Amino acid sequence: MSEETQETVVQEATDSLQSMNIRTEPVDSSDPEHTKQKVDILLKPTGNAPIMKKKKWTVDSDKKIGWIIEFVKKYLKLEPNEKLFLYVNQTFAPSPDQVVKNLYDCYSTEGKLVLHYCKTQAWG
Amino acid sequence: MYYSPTYVSCHAVCLRLLHLTDFIVNNKTTTKTFKLRHFFQLKKSSNEMANDREILREIWEGKLPVCFRLDKDEVADFREPDPFYLMVPRLSYFPLVIDKVRKHFLKFVANEKAEQEMWLEYNGQPLKWQYPIGVLSDLLLGPDDLLPWNITVHFSKFPESEVYRFDSKEMVESYFMACLKEADVLKHRGQIASSMQKKDHNQLWLGLQNEKFDQFWAVNRKLMEASGDQDYFKYIPFRCYIDDGYRQKLVKPISDDNHKKTLQDLLEELFPGNKNIKVKTHGMIPPMETPLQWLSEHLSYPDNFLHLCVV
Repeated sequence: MSEETQETVVQEATDSLQSMNIRTEPVDSSDPEHTKQKVDILLKPTGNAPIMKKKKWTVDSDKKIGWIIEFVKKYLKLEPNEKLFLYVNQTFAPSPDQVVKNLYDCYSTEGKLVLHYCKTQAWG
Repeated sequence: MYYSPTYVSCHAVCLRLLHLTDFIVNNKTTTKTFKLRHFFQLKKSSNEMANDREILREIWEGKLPVCFRLDKDEVADFREPDPFYLMVPRLSYFPLVIDKVRKHFLKFVANEKAEQEMWLEYNGQPLKWQYPIGVLSDLLLGPDDLLPWNITVHFSKFPESEVYRFDSKEMVESYFMACLKEADVLKHRGQIASSMQKKDHNQLWLGLQNEKFDQFWAVNRKLMEASGDQDYFKYIPFRCYIDDGYRQKLVKPISDDNHKKTLQDLLEELFPGNKNIKVKTHGMIPPMETPLQWLSEHLSYPDNFLHLCVV
């Protein structure tokens, strides 16, 4: 690693990106009659992250990634200042304002969206 | 005379670009328009798949005139600050271009506010820093809005529930890189981005930040080629903005029977049964018959996504 300082800066930035304040309530409540679509997600630990007893969750498809990050942090009883990173395809960190539906439509396999979580940055 | 579908759509896009260039208040308008006409004629005479690098450059050079004004309630000085005018690149992000704006207004706000994060608002809507500037303008500027784009600058009451904080350029960098990797997952199963070195990633970012076309495209070219013996990307990376958010879906550039899919096909797959949807990108409405692969290679933003705003 020849450019460690740069890496650190970017990592810190990613840290703050992931820990930004996020809106936790669903955004679109315009159509209460319409039953919300739900999707299955599978949360898998990686690196030093603690294991979640319940791995498979069903969530409203309009939930944002930021909401899921906060949810996992609460479930794992992490301190508020601890970071949590989510990855899709073990490749990229989705934006906190991305909705689960988009990720599910593009990256789910066998009816489930697999999200890896870890406490330190794992993939780029 | 035979026109390939790609040629026809390039032609149409060129014409739209001409309008776009005229629309922009820029002292370079005449030269730019001339360049585009020249390019268009060249294509006409050669009548073959010429290199469309000129289009990439026109897109890269797209700029918007913005007039920044400090919110009146935040002026703590006895003088009203002058508005601050700036030509901003459509492809960039606000946090990368507003250092000067901040500096200009800082001396007019109360001292205790000076440390706070500046945020921007247009017509009562806070601007999301993670959207490219061109996307914000396509989303927020209506057909009757005149340029320059009048944006209000704030230092207090950060709208936490609507906008993420952007406290550093590195944060934008990490967001940008994540988008680029996601796009590569769609195009090449992530193989090109992951095989790149850190210095390539840096070059992409610095090219964008410093507005250096050649620096950026020397690396981005690899991401924008169909890999191996393929003629097409696996899927087209796009975000289609609608209802205060955006939609993504897996859309292939070719149909099962090997026909080139078009923008029309993409919109039909995304909004089944809704035939009248039109989208805007880079300040123009691309022709519906534009092939998706061409669109993706030429009209994607630097994050490698097409950003299409439903109008």
